[in-house]
Formats: sequence, structure tokens, C-alpha cells
Amino acid sequence: MKYTFISPRKKSILSPEMLLLFIFFGITLSMLFMTYAFLLFKEHRFSQDKEESIRQLSELSISQDEMQERIRFIKEEKQLAERIYTQNTVLKDSISNLFDLVPQRITLSEAKLLKNGLILYGITPNQDIYNFMLQAPLRSIFTSTYSSFFPAENGWLRFVSTNYIDENDLGKKNLKQKVNEDLNNEN
Amino acid sequence: MLSKLFESLYLKVFVNIIVTRSHTIVYIETSNKKGILEHVEEIFKTTTINDKMKMFIDSYTQESPFNYISFLDKSEFQGAAPTCSNKELSKFFDVSSSKYLCYLNKWAYYTLNSDLQLLKKEYSTIGVDFIFSPFTILAKFFKDKIGKTSAMYILIEDGRISLGVFDNSQLLYADYMLLKQNEVIDDLLEDDTSSDYEVLDFDGGIDLDNLDTDIDMGELDDFGDIEDLDTFDDMEDFSEIKDQHVEEVITEDNSLLTMSDTEIFGEDYERFLLIQSSVNHFYKDDKFESIFIERVFIADSIDGGADLKKYLEEEMFLNVVVRRIELTAELCELARSELK
Repeated sequence: MKYTFISPRKKSILSPEMLLLFIFFGITLSMLFMTYAFLLFKEHRFSQDKEESIRQLSELSISQDEMQERIRFIKEEKQLAERIYTQNTVLKDSISNLFDLVPQRITLSEAKLLKNGLILYGITPNQDIYNFMLQAPLRSIFTSTYSSFFPAENGWLRFVSTNYIDENDLGKKNLKQKVNEDLNNEN
Repeated sequence: MLSKLFESLYLKVFVNIIVTRSHTIVYIETSNKKGILEHVEEIFKTTTINDKMKMFIDSYTQESPFNYISFLDKSEFQGAAPTCSNKELSKFFDVSSSKYLCYLNKWAYYTLNSDLQLLKKEYSTIGVDFIFSPFTILAKFFKDKIGKTSAMYILIEDGRISLGVFDNSQLLYADYMLLKQNEVIDDLLEDDTSSDYEVLDFDGGIDLDNLDTDIDMGELDDFGDIEDLDTFDDMEDFSEIKDQHVEEVITEDNSLLTMSDTEIFGEDYERFLLIQSSVNHFYKDDKFESIFIERVFIADSIDGGADLKKYLEEEMFLNVVVRRIELTAELCELARSELK
């Protein structure tokens, strides 16, 4: 406003009718665009969900394989455990049987289990008791048995009995060895 | 930014309206960014808006939304003051009821607020964008002189005079005057109307009873001296005088005596009287800083004030320069400058 007493009216390129028409078309177009945008968004979401499902499927598949692998491993472990348990039971029975072999009058001070043999240390009142009551059953089990005696302070005899099994009886020996290895692994 | 772009694409239509005493001049100019495409002027025999005028204006304004309607302020209570200071303005006019604007921070022009509202209301059917003061037009029209010459500047419109005394572009005194013949014309118009009604009331007959018989019989008695009239011999001497008188009448006929010229002659004298009294007021009132007026620049929009120049020169010994002004074009120019 430089020289005029009043400010000019606001000029608009649109007449009220045109303005109404433009508003109507504007609203219609905006609704169409919004619908289109909504559909695009939904499509995008759907494709995202699809990708996610595929990824999850793949992960599940991998997970399933891992689970199968673990199951297989656990089964193997179970088999091994069962085997060890069985072998332990067998060993326990063997040791129990071994100790059952020792008569009341003979006292064992040490026993060594070897790959293919057994060394026993102990005290016996006399050599006959030893020969009849302990050496006889040992000879029935082992292939070769060697015994050596030396006197103790109280008049009794200390003995060392060394017993070995032949190579032919490896099956039995291997079983013992495996049992020992498994025992070590467990520890 | 966007509106500026649209504005440059569309045509601009400037409608300039000047209301005179008996008619309205509408000047329309259509332009684009390259220049003026069309201009047209139409005069309507109305002092307010009528259907014909509205249709004429609408036919152009509908061409473009960027149409601007300008008015030359016709308020009786407008003027200009030689200061721009709020405190001093109240010495010259009622600031509370007026709208005023400063011109180059040197002087102010004002008009009555209610008259602005009235004008806007009167022309609300077409709308009003700009209302300009005649003092602005006067200052713009004589901007080449106002800065250099100390003089009196006058804008003559039909029935209105805007007068300003400038000293090196500083306004010293301003006056806005209406010709009294305005009122006379209005009165005459009213009289004509009333006489028409009397004729209608005449009703084809004469009431003989109420006939005015009071005639001054003394005048008739003068006919008694009819015998004292000159003889035919005396008439021969008289013929010389008669010829001389006829010659005078013929001379006057050739120069002035058309009806409209007589009106202008009378109006010019009235203008002269108004200017003379305004100058007296300027000299006598201590409120105004006084200078001695030697020169007068007249912007003449009615193209008929030759006698005014003569009166001013002969009676007031002023050096008068008259310039023809196309008010509508100047108004349009102002409207255009408002948009820059």
C-alpha cells in the first residue's frame, strides 16, 4: 500500500464454483491415491511377511536338521551310555566274581587289572591254602598263572599272582580296554 | 510465489472510476506483462452504480481474476496537511475520524473514514481495491515541478478543486473545494422535478375562483404616456445605436455564447473566487508557513478553464501554466504502481 487509502481485495484465480469443483475432485483424487497407497502398503507388507515366512521356514528347516543331528548324537550317546552301563555292569560283575573267588582266609592287599592280565597282591596263611583256594579258579580263567611267595613278619606268606590271557581271547580283552577308555572319557 | 506466477500468466484489468457531478467515467485498461493490450473509456449518466455500468465493468473484470477497481476519492472532507507527525496532524484535521497516509514522509493526505466505508458499500457489487486522493495525483503529475519550483499547484476536476502550495517538494498548504454550482445544479434538478409534478397536478382545468387577480395596475398606467414615444425622425438616430448593439451581440455569439461555454465561463469565475479565497486563507492563517505565490501550475482535467487562467493572471498577477491531465489514465497509473 503506497498511495491508496484501502488495501486491495485478495485475488484468487478460482471462482467459488471452480473452487468447489476443485475441492470435490481433490477429495476424490486424494481418496483414490490413499486407497492406492493403502493397497501398495498392504502389498509391501504381504511381500515382507512372505519373505519373513520363507526365512522362518528356512531357519526352521536348518533348525530341524540341527535337531535331527542332535537327536542322532543323543541316540548315539544313549547307545554308548547303554553300552558303558552294560560294560560297567559286566565289569562290576566280573570284579564281584573276582572278589568272590578270594577265600576268607586270604587277604588281598592290591589288585591290578591289565590289558590282558590281572596282578594280585595279598597275604595267605600258607601256600597250600593259596594253591587250592585261589590259584585253582584263577587258572580256570586265565591262560597262564604265575605265583611267587615271600614270608611276612607274622609267619604268613605274601604272594604276588600274575595272570595272563592269550591273544585268542582278544574279544574279551578289547571289551575291557573299551570299558577303561569310556571310563576315562566319563571322568 | 505461486500467486505471482499465476499473476504473470493472467491478464490484468484495471478499472478506474471517476464520479463527477452528473456522470461517471469508467476507464478500463487491460494489460499483460508485455504491456497494455486494450483501453476503453465509457461515460455513464449516473453518479452511482447502475446495471448498465455494472454489466460494462463485469464484461471486462470477468476476463481475469486479477482485476483492480480504483476510485478517485470524492469525499468532501478530504485534504492534505503539511506534516507527517502524528502530534501535529491534529492541528489540521480530526485524526480520530480520518484515514491518513504520508507522502514521502513529508506531508500527509487524508480523508474521512466513514466516507471510505460509504464508498466501499456503495460499490460493493463490483468491489473496490484502491481509493486514491486527488492530492496524490496532483503531486505525481507535477513531480517534475514540485521538487524544483515553489508554487501553487491546482487540480481541476468537474465540480472539485484540489489545491496545494509546495515549497521545494514540501507541502505548505492544501485545500479541497467543491463548486457551489454543485448545489445549484442539484437544486435545479429538484425544481424541475417539482414543476413536473405541478404540471401533473394541473389536471386539465383552471380554477377560476382561485385565480390570482392581484395585478399591479400601476404598471398598466404607464401606457398612458405612450404618446410621448419618439417620432419616426428620432428613430433614425436610434438605428445607429441598434446596429452597434446587434454587432456586439453577433461578436459575442461567435466567441462564447453557446450554452455549455456559458456554464464554463461561470464555473471558471467561481473557481477563481474559490482559489482567491483559499490563497487569502493561506496568507492570513498563521498555522501555515507562508511564502509568496508567484506561479501557478494547473492540471486541467475538464479542458475548459481558459478563463480561469485569465482571471488568475489579471486579477492576482500570477504566472499561470496549464497542463491537460487525463485523470483516468493517471488513476490507472497509480493503481499499476500500487502493484509493483
